[in-house]
Amino acid sequence: MENKRPLSPHIQIYRWHISSLVSISHRITGIINIIAITLICFLACVLMLGEESFKIIEIFFNSVFGKFIILGITWSFSFQILSEIRHLVMDLGYGFELKTTKITGLVVIVGSVILTILFYLIGKNFF
Amino acid sequence: MISATKKWLFLKISGALLVPLMIWFILNFVAIYNQGYFELVNFFSKGISGFIFSIFIVIAFFFSAISISEVFEDYIGDEQIKNVANKLLYLSAVVIPLITIILINNI
Repeated sequence: MENKRPLSPHIQIYRWHISSLVSISHRITGIINIIAITLICFLACVLMLGEESFKIIEIFFNSVFGKFIILGITWSFSFQILSEIRHLVMDLGYGFELKTTKITGLVVIVGSVILTILFYLIGKNFF
Repeated sequence: MISATKKWLFLKISGALLVPLMIWFILNFVAIYNQGYFELVNFFSKGISGFIFSIFIVIAFFFSAISISEVFEDYIGDEQIKNVANKLLYLSAVVIPLITIILINNI
């Protein structure tokens, strides 16, 4: 049965704002993250098959493409973390003013890049 | 409480729980992804890290299933397609973490 109600959020109609960019990116990174977590579950299962099966994983993670994927996942997680905190704060009733939404949106976008670098440096024991 | 309110509450609670778990996971994953076989096996299946990893994937799949069903609600108009998509989504959100937890705990 075809539902006649309009579908949202009409991304082709409205002019783009920082809030809409953060909102759609939140959804996209959410989907990227669950694909990444599924692949990590697959990785964990493959590891349990024995050391031989680890060779392919090792080659992949040590390649440039593998490192790019790790960096991409780190950014996607960083974006989701900051955007989720933004959503939770808004759910508490704060940050709805136009200026505040623009600032917090920018914090999420710029902060996700900074957080990615921080996660990578902390993970690699640079500090 | 209506089902939509329950769904929203579950989404928010799982989202709040997921934030520290994501920070924990990504920090550890960046540290161990190019380590040796035994380091990776120990991380995924042994001790406190294995336990937190199991909790992490359960909450991550639960959260994703609810939030992706919201995306289906926004973009899929056909009720039948939406129902099938939701059923497949909820099934995979149970099966994938369950199989992973069973396998990593049987090593």
